[in-house]
Amino acid sequence: MANSTSALPAHPPRPGALRAFVSKPEFGPLVLLVGMIVVFTSINPAFLSLTNIGNALTFTVELGFIALAMTLLMTAGEFDLSVGSVFGFAPVVMWTLVNTGTMPLGLAFLVALLLALGIGLISGLFVTRLAIPSFLVTLGMLLVVRGTALWLTDGFPQRTWNAGEQWLAQVLVGEICMGGEGVGCAGGLRIYMSLIWFAIIAVAFHYLLTGTRFGNWIQATGGNPGAARNRGVKTGRVKIILFMLSALLAAFAGAISSIRVSAANPNSGTGYELEVIAMVVIGGTVLTGGRGTIVGTVLGVLILRLMRNGIVMIGVPGLAYNIFIGAIILGMMALHSGLERRHNPGT
Amino acid sequence: MAGANGDILVDMRNIEKSYGGVHALRGVNLSIRRGEIVGLLGDNGAGKSTLIKVLSGAVPYTSGEIVIKGRPVRMRSTLDAIANGIETIYQDSALVPQLSIARNLFLGRELRKGPRFLDRLDLDRMNGVAAELLRRVGISKNIPPTTPIGSLSGGERQAVAIARAMYFESDLIILDEPTNNLGVAETQGVLRFVREARDTGHSCVFIAHNIHHVFQVVDRIVVMRRGTIVSDDLSPRTSSIQEVEDIITGEPVAA
Repeated sequence: MANSTSALPAHPPRPGALRAFVSKPEFGPLVLLVGMIVVFTSINPAFLSLTNIGNALTFTVELGFIALAMTLLMTAGEFDLSVGSVFGFAPVVMWTLVNTGTMPLGLAFLVALLLALGIGLISGLFVTRLAIPSFLVTLGMLLVVRGTALWLTDGFPQRTWNAGEQWLAQVLVGEICMGGEGVGCAGGLRIYMSLIWFAIIAVAFHYLLTGTRFGNWIQATGGNPGAARNRGVKTGRVKIILFMLSALLAAFAGAISSIRVSAANPNSGTGYELEVIAMVVIGGTVLTGGRGTIVGTVLGVLILRLMRNGIVMIGVPGLAYNIFIGAIILGMMALHSGLERRHNPGT
Repeated sequence: MAGANGDILVDMRNIEKSYGGVHALRGVNLSIRRGEIVGLLGDNGAGKSTLIKVLSGAVPYTSGEIVIKGRPVRMRSTLDAIANGIETIYQDSALVPQLSIARNLFLGRELRKGPRFLDRLDLDRMNGVAAELLRRVGISKNIPPTTPIGSLSGGERQAVAIARAMYFESDLIILDEPTNNLGVAETQGVLRFVREARDTGHSCVFIAHNIHHVFQVVDRIVVMRRGTIVSDDLSPRTSSIQEVEDIITGEPVAA
């Protein structure tokens, strides 16, 4: 009989600090982002100007809100195709209520967010109780919500031009001028409040995912639902909460966008769901669940938006944008899959 | 032998289970004492897998009674089983590969600190306990508790699952084919963890196709055939592997 006190075979040495950093899912997107900034700036130095950074960051965050919530949802193993519709639907409801004199903007904003929570709840219940894949449930929800927005408005945009004087508008998208002068914030960095909201939510979600019990449950729900359930984790409840969170942030982003551009178009947000999912997976979150990174998603959001901004600034026709995005997605997936195989054999 | 005549931990009485018209279990009576390792053997379809699923709460039984520590209990889910001190370790299905060893150990029972509603994981304490447990089951070498489960070997994963059952004071640990797909050294490691669990007062039910592994570790062998227990007091010290194999296949035992 073999010596039963012998320990298990010795493990291969663990990677050092540098290799550990390289093997992190955020490493690839970070290198890409830095590379993009270097290339764009060397071709057109105006890329790094304060005006351009201010502009790029403004457009960045509206999709970014949705991407942050989608990161948590995808870590739990589901995704939501209806976010683009909710992005268009929520402001349409909000401004319809305001314009018909039904209620003030603040209340209408809350009603729109509550409706979004309801949409998320329904999607979540369909996915968890009826065990229908989230692809099909949220595809159906996409059409229902978009159709409702179009039907409510007869397809016409809603007026929003009295938004400027509202306190809510200031809180959500008020301008902050750093170091500049005058109406156009000449010579300074002009940012909107929405960027600050984005930063707050990003930090909060990062902390939620990595430092709290709920975050542990999110990862377990996506990583091995059976094991999670066996340990008493209510995986269905985790998913429902995250579907509600994703709809909530889509509505929040839609409201912010409508105030900023002074238009609530029932068609706005079309196709956003795929761009958001692209941002999340480029950042290193796994489509099948279990592993997600908010830091990576912030990088992914910046990569896609700066790419859109940068290729125009260096003179590539804007219509070629999708070619670059597609290539980035393919390249990143190849990189992540290669790292996965090298660092986690047997997973 | 440890606990050979000790008190009874789990008593399954006249358990029946039928799927449609198929009788998977036909009135099974099985008692498990404290601190003993029971090896459950039987050919494919003998009902041993159904029996342990009943005991782990994964499958509802049609009739019969389960008494744990003298108290009749109703098992509706795996959570009921865990609440009653029964932990089942299935290969590869007990752990989350993406999470660290420490996070897996405490999954569902996370240690937290800070004020209510703003509480956060107490990762320092979780990692500390995990490192101590890994030392106890003897796989602490080079493996920090922050290592993801996915980069561990099969034997190391079993060890983590067993360590978890030991830490949370499970009275009974059920191991379903724990040595499948493991190398020789890893198998010896797992068998050592099972003995370690027994020596610290836990009972184990051990199922393995490899009868040699069973013989190395168990105190008592229970053999099932066609939904019933045909023998429940064989000892690996008094019976030979050949005798047990004959009982499993139903060959007349040579006198």
